[in-house]
Amino acid sequence: MRLFPRFRSFKARILCYFLGLLLAVQVVAFLAVDFANSRNAQAQIHDDLVVASRVFGRLIENRSQRLVEAARLLSGDFAFKAAFASQDVATIRSALRNHQSRIKADAFMLFSPDGEPIAAAGAGELAAAGDDLADLIELADDSDDGEAAAIAPLAGVPHQWVVVPLLAPLPVAWITIGFRLDDELADALRDLTLTEVTILDPGDEAQVIYASTLPKAMRSDLPGILAAGGWRANESFLARFGADDFVTLVTPLGNGGAAEAGVNVAVLQRSLDAALAPYHRLRLTLLLLTAVALTISLLIAQPIVGSVTNPVLRLAAAARRVRQGDYSGQVNIEQADEIGELSAAFNDMTKGLAERDQVRDLLGKVVDPAVAEELLSHEVELGGEEREVTILFSDIRGFTAISERQSPQQLVGLLNAYLTRMSAAIEGESGVVDKYIGDAVMALFGAPLAHGDDPARAVRAALVMGRALVEVNRDFAERGLPAVGMGVGINTATVVAGNMGSESRLNYTVIGDGVNLASRIEGLTRVYGVPVIVCEATRAAAAGFEFLELDRVRVKGKQNVERIFMPLDGAAMGGDLRLRHDDALSAYRERAWDVAAETFTALRRENPDLAELYDLYLQRIAEYRRTPPPPDWDGAASYDKK
Amino acid sequence: MSQFCQGLGGLLLVLIFAAKGAGAAEIVATVVDDDGEAIRHAVIHAEPAAGAAPNGAPTETVIDQIDKLYTPFVSVVRAGTRIRFPNRDNIKHHVYSFSRAKKFELPLYAGRAAAPVLFDKPGEVTMGCNIHDWMIAHVLVVDTPHFAVTGDDGQARLGGLPPGDYRVRVWHPGMKGKRKAKPQVVRLGDGNAELRFEIRLKSRHKWWREKPDDADERYERNDG
Repeated sequence: MRLFPRFRSFKARILCYFLGLLLAVQVVAFLAVDFANSRNAQAQIHDDLVVASRVFGRLIENRSQRLVEAARLLSGDFAFKAAFASQDVATIRSALRNHQSRIKADAFMLFSPDGEPIAAAGAGELAAAGDDLADLIELADDSDDGEAAAIAPLAGVPHQWVVVPLLAPLPVAWITIGFRLDDELADALRDLTLTEVTILDPGDEAQVIYASTLPKAMRSDLPGILAAGGWRANESFLARFGADDFVTLVTPLGNGGAAEAGVNVAVLQRSLDAALAPYHRLRLTLLLLTAVALTISLLIAQPIVGSVTNPVLRLAAAARRVRQGDYSGQVNIEQADEIGELSAAFNDMTKGLAERDQVRDLLGKVVDPAVAEELLSHEVELGGEEREVTILFSDIRGFTAISERQSPQQLVGLLNAYLTRMSAAIEGESGVVDKYIGDAVMALFGAPLAHGDDPARAVRAALVMGRALVEVNRDFAERGLPAVGMGVGINTATVVAGNMGSESRLNYTVIGDGVNLASRIEGLTRVYGVPVIVCEATRAAAAGFEFLELDRVRVKGKQNVERIFMPLDGAAMGGDLRLRHDDALSAYRERAWDVAAETFTALRRENPDLAELYDLYLQRIAEYRRTPPPPDWDGAASYDKK
Repeated sequence: MSQFCQGLGGLLLVLIFAAKGAGAAEIVATVVDDDGEAIRHAVIHAEPAAGAAPNGAPTETVIDQIDKLYTPFVSVVRAGTRIRFPNRDNIKHHVYSFSRAKKFELPLYAGRAAAPVLFDKPGEVTMGCNIHDWMIAHVLVVDTPHFAVTGDDGQARLGGLPPGDYRVRVWHPGMKGKRKAKPQVVRLGDGNAELRFEIRLKSRHKWWREKPDDADERYERNDG
């Protein structure tokens, strides 16, 4: 199971992870800031609401104070006392009205000590007053100084009340003054505290809203919210009105110790969303910053990642070139970091490989490349194997004559030029140059690798060498040097092939009788005046060639008679030449000197190239005419010396 | 303890009077609250059970204004008595009352200048001073010459009473249930009659004003 997507490009992966991380960090920061902001805003609003509630309480208190003071003034007013004592209701009422207008109260009443309403400034107030304000009067009655302040409704409208005794000189009546708690008050309070104000009675059965700054639609939601909310006094909570969140604080309105059941509360609210508005702007700014940061990061990351991927790609390309054998390109990455290190190491490696290749090449030059490959590919073995190998020896003639007139460098140069050509011919037929012995070349066909037609290859190589010799002589002639001759001897035999030598210095070569024979044969080219001599085994195995039998020989160290042949290059000789040549040889071996001599002479005349061969035979015939060979003469020539 | 002494004293007085001659017995009333604490400023007045109280010559009495206080706090007079309100302070007072039994005012005067005020209607009169809110005095106007005010011991003695049956009432300016208060009937013979009244009082501010601490002007010098 893959947790992370596969990337084909390192660049893409880095960018993805890097930017992804950046994005993640930004998102987390964003969320954290958002959360903190919201919390802070709420806490801030809570604090503000607490202050507002205190202000509110103080406002109510101050109004109360004002009312009380105004009421007290009245209660000490001698004229009012006199008016009261007169028991003239009209007088009393007009006095009440007078005072009411002085302090701009909404309700102004007089109660008897028993709590019965006596008179009121406004006509309609009295009717309900007795019942509505009974508790209020009782409150005053119970208090030490006869004063009381409370919020209570009159005919359904909540008022802020104060009660003071009319002292004449002892309490003879209750002066009751009330201010309406209405929307105007709520508005004034809102202006002061900057919170939404609602005054209501959170009764268990029905909640009554007395005054509010909330719009009508929200007002009706409020009691429900309060009922559901389970609020506690002076602990703020979030209330949802439609789409807006309001931080809400409910504070009881001091009733001067009224019974708890009738506690009125003020609900102070402030919109959380409005308070969060600046934070929302901040949020936008953060988003913008995030976008900018991402863009910049993208732009910056590109070159940074590029500083890794580009060198890597360059190194990959260089590696591919090295694979194809081009060690020339050095990758120059001028970075002080790990990539630079990699590049330096790569260059070193390339140099190492180049050196190794050089060594291989050199090895291939010192040893035949095929042999070098064989050596390199296998564990070097000192042991050998028996295999059929075609051995080719070649020798240069007349080189000494040149060497006397050359400086050593020139000599080596000439020799190397010759040897290069001959080696090319050999290697061109998949032969392996075993060794150079001075100006002589020993080559192997069929070892270490067999090609199936190695004898033929050897013969072809010899013929190519012959053609190459012509080129060499042409070169020499241009330099004013005498021509050189070459002799090649080829034998095919089973020999022992292998790395011969010590552990530190090896020579892949072959040993066996067949090797010596090839060498002797090569030497015989001088005798017969032909460029190439092959043994019978080679002739038998080399397909596609015409051979001319040269002789039967017995070489030093061997008892057996070997027939030796000469390959015919192309259509050098006509068909019947060979027949006649073979006939001549047969006549010679049968001691039919005249016939042989006659044929040889004719052949010699027709084939000037083979002059030396036929001369040899004619010479032998002349010899044998004078001194006949012994009776056991088998027609073979013996060569006892090398 | 004091009661015992008082009892002893009373007994002594009784004996003295008994030695003096017959006919002058006393009604000794003790007024307490429901905790048994003695109540001061309570008025005890008695009227003969049968018939009216004997008439007497109109008298004059005094309620002083000293140190911005009325003295005595509670007085009892027979209807028809004049009360004089001398002002012994160096500032003026303005005596007033809106009580139904007597409405009057003596606006801003000093010294003894004001004429005495006639209290001719039985009832309770509460008076104050228009300038000094705490100056309160109570006067109970009664129809009988037999009355007394309890002192700190809560006792009042009605002396010089001919033997007979008397209805004795108690009154206090802050008494709860004034209207319902039933008189105690006592037969006075040779010896004193001792009565005990238990009343409950309303909260103090309904019949008393505390004089503020800074009411008396004191000029404090910085001596040090």
